[in-house]
Amino acid sequence: MSQPTIVVVAIAYLLLLFAIAWAVEHSSGRISRLTGSSIVYTLSLAVYCSSWTFNGGVGKASQTGLDFLPIYLGPTLVFCLAPLLLRRMLRISQANRVTSISDLIGSRFGKSASLAALVTLIAVIGLVPYIALQLKSISSGLIALSSGVMTHSLAGSIMLDGAFWSAIVLTIFAMLFGSRSIRPGEHHPGMVVAVAAESILKLVSLTAIGLFVVYGLYGGFGDLFTEAGKVPEIRMIFDQIPAGYGYNWISMTVLAALAVFCLPRQFQVMVVENVDDRHLNRAAWLFPLYLLLINLFVLPIAFAGRMMLPEDTDPDNLVLALPYATGHPMLALIAFLGGLSAAASMVVVETTALSLMVCNDVVMPALLRVRRLGLSSRSDLTRLLLWIRRAAMVVIMALGYMYMRHDSAQFALVSIGLMSFVAVAQFAPAILCGIYWRGATQAGAFAGITSGFLIWCYTMLLPSFARSGALDINFLVDGPFGIALLKPYALFGLAGLDPVTHSAFWSLLINTAMLVAVSLAGRQHPVERARAAMFVGAVESGEAAQIWRRTALVPDLMSLTARFIGREKAAAAYAGFARSRGVDPATAVQADAETVLFYERLLAGVIGAASARVLVGAIVEEEPLGVDEMMRILDETSRLIEANRQLEEKSQELEAATGELKEANSRLQVLDRLKDDFVVTVNHELRTPLASIRAFSEILRDHPHLPDEERLEFLRIVVTESERLTRLINQLLDLSKIEATGSMPAQRAPVDLAQVVRESAAAVQQVFARSRVELRIEVEADPAVVIGDRDRLVQVVINLLGNAAKFSPPGSGRAVLALRRTGRDLELSVADNGPGIRAEDREVVFERFRQLGDTMNDKPQGAGLGLAISHRIVTQHGGRIWVEGAEHGGAVFKVRLAAAPRSRARAAERAGGSYLPA
Amino acid sequence: MLRRTARRDRMIGLFAAGAVLLNPPILNLVGGTVFGWPARYLYFFLAWAVLIAAVAVVSERGGGPADERDRDGQRR
Repeated sequence: MSQPTIVVVAIAYLLLLFAIAWAVEHSSGRISRLTGSSIVYTLSLAVYCSSWTFNGGVGKASQTGLDFLPIYLGPTLVFCLAPLLLRRMLRISQANRVTSISDLIGSRFGKSASLAALVTLIAVIGLVPYIALQLKSISSGLIALSSGVMTHSLAGSIMLDGAFWSAIVLTIFAMLFGSRSIRPGEHHPGMVVAVAAESILKLVSLTAIGLFVVYGLYGGFGDLFTEAGKVPEIRMIFDQIPAGYGYNWISMTVLAALAVFCLPRQFQVMVVENVDDRHLNRAAWLFPLYLLLINLFVLPIAFAGRMMLPEDTDPDNLVLALPYATGHPMLALIAFLGGLSAAASMVVVETTALSLMVCNDVVMPALLRVRRLGLSSRSDLTRLLLWIRRAAMVVIMALGYMYMRHDSAQFALVSIGLMSFVAVAQFAPAILCGIYWRGATQAGAFAGITSGFLIWCYTMLLPSFARSGALDINFLVDGPFGIALLKPYALFGLAGLDPVTHSAFWSLLINTAMLVAVSLAGRQHPVERARAAMFVGAVESGEAAQIWRRTALVPDLMSLTARFIGREKAAAAYAGFARSRGVDPATAVQADAETVLFYERLLAGVIGAASARVLVGAIVEEEPLGVDEMMRILDETSRLIEANRQLEEKSQELEAATGELKEANSRLQVLDRLKDDFVVTVNHELRTPLASIRAFSEILRDHPHLPDEERLEFLRIVVTESERLTRLINQLLDLSKIEATGSMPAQRAPVDLAQVVRESAAAVQQVFARSRVELRIEVEADPAVVIGDRDRLVQVVINLLGNAAKFSPPGSGRAVLALRRTGRDLELSVADNGPGIRAEDREVVFERFRQLGDTMNDKPQGAGLGLAISHRIVTQHGGRIWVEGAEHGGAVFKVRLAAAPRSRARAAERAGGSYLPA
Repeated sequence: MLRRTARRDRMIGLFAAGAVLLNPPILNLVGGTVFGWPARYLYFFLAWAVLIAAVAVVSERGGGPADERDRDGQRR
């Protein structure tokens, strides 16, 4: 395939991406809402997979097997912590309008320009090799595809030409994507969507090659692995070095975990470009899933490459070389475009983030300090800002190109990338301590980052120069000046680790140690402490403003802000802010502390916290705030928070207690009402017979000459009523006795229910005869033995039969007493054809004195204690009593009791005689 | 409030499980081949996939939009 064709295809592809970005930023339809999707957010995070993943991962896998994987394991683990760590970073960054990683560290540690500048410097130095790596990968891919040469030993000049032109094209694209206009908050929706599109292509392309290799060149995974197992060197990779993976694996995991939030490009897409922090929840698993999918085919491709391609093929070119060598140039082109996507998205986002840092944290603060330039009085600075950023991009890309030209041929892609990882990992201790520990001081952060960076330079950067010949190689072998203890790859005699692990261990250890030690040893200025508290606690802006009592004139602030973000945007932002506080934006002239803070943050969103502080500081009047007052505010705030928390706890406890009380109260009320009912009913029930006995007795006493008939009739009534009274008193006594004995029946002996039924029926025969109700008895279970108290059970049956006799219509009344076995239970039922019981009353009939119907009109037919007593007896026997509606409108009372075990039942049968009715 | 802590704790648990299971020395326990496949490759990807699935279940369940807004308190 000719080189111009490939270049044209590549440029056309990049133009297509730019068209997407342009459409996102200029249309108002569905495409512009793409950035609001969590999928696009996740795909933009996949900028993590640069050409290092795409080409370098396969190269590494073909040499050493699985140990490319920790680079993706680290981010997976960190994203498990998304709800804690990443969300917190996001929240704090958005509250403080942070626009880059240097801004985050700078504004946590006192908005200090020097610390932010140091971070920027380290980021640029650390990432130049990483950018160089992308250039190398593009150009070697280009050459491989056009000439078919896949080996390491490329002719120097062609290779460099390719890298040169790709550097220029990528710089132009970075400018187009990343620095076309100044926006508050530094959102680049177009860039995000373009990166997301590239991520899709990366995944599709690598998967396509993978499928082609596994199913096109081999007969599936099994075939490929079987073939690979036959090659001794690959076999060795399977079984791995007998010792297995050790510290190297763990250190790669840790480095990747730190890099995924410390790399400027990751911070840019994850934090700065985030529009909704709920996207993080989705990304917590979707991003690791992307990483898994893109790595699925890496090992098969690497093995196939080892088996099918000549020995001297550059391992980093395997993805391209495999389809090319097997006669599929179109697939090779797709692979090239995938690699190009990976490299281009990385370069564009990284240079955008870096240029922002350079502009906001190094160049602008410096320019603003130089009074001679008179920058603070220039009317429109947006163009200046843009040009500074573009210049920074050019410088960064130039550095990358120079590094590649100088050095990169010595190293495989993976080693270069890891060098950058160690460099940016130096920010992690300051960030993590900064957002979780109030006591971390500026001096501590400075000492930590500086020492970590110096150790990185000594153990990674200088050796890389030494190996490329720029320094004396003896420096590596014997240590500087022959001091063996200071050998860069075995510092203080720590040998046996690979250079990256070695460097990561020492630099991170000393970085963290210095940060903690200096923070603990030093004293924190009250203002610094306040700022730390605000940062760690993500305090409201109103409270924060209190700490710096600054005032200014609104027009001054407005004209200052307008110079950087344009008059319209500034006016619109202020109008929104004023409305939210209920102030008329047109008339307010004096800006209070909160307004000043608002403007400072607005500016910080464009030019960074450090520059914004310098600019706003020039026009505000800052009232000096005494240390005492400072402490008072802090104390009050913390006391208030504590008091508030306690109050909340107390009120929750109170609420719970109130709920319990309410419940108890309503229970009491029910009981109280029942008691009242009980007393009234007892009163009524006892009084009625007493009254009639007394009335008839008085008649008999006062009229001695009554006819005999009448006298007999009256005496009969007196006797009946006395019987009723006796019955009532007996029942009351029964009830209290049963309630007193609790849940156990008075006796526990085998009882034959069939006999109980017959006996009870005999006892109530007279009653049924008198009320002219027919009683039928159906005993299907005979004998039917239960364990319990015979007399009580008889009482239950008689009660139920009495009810049936009472409520069945005289003459046509029919009652059925049945006893049958259901499973392991015995069921006794008494059915009548009376008026029945309404469904809603079926529960309450078993309560004491519960008589259905209107008690005012109907004469109560009984004391209302029978069912209550029966219910208690059955419950004591461990059974159940309930009432159902009968088929023809009557009621059916059912009692279910557990049948006695067989042995006891037989005993009862043998002793049956003694249970005959007396 | 309880739910948020529960979810947070589960995520920390998954983090710990992933860190232990997918790193040496546990990782080194797997070796050789299973049905001709490199066993460690198979183990790593399976464990990784299970970890991701678990994170998905924990972070997607019981976190509807309204719920989220509630818990976040003040937002940008």
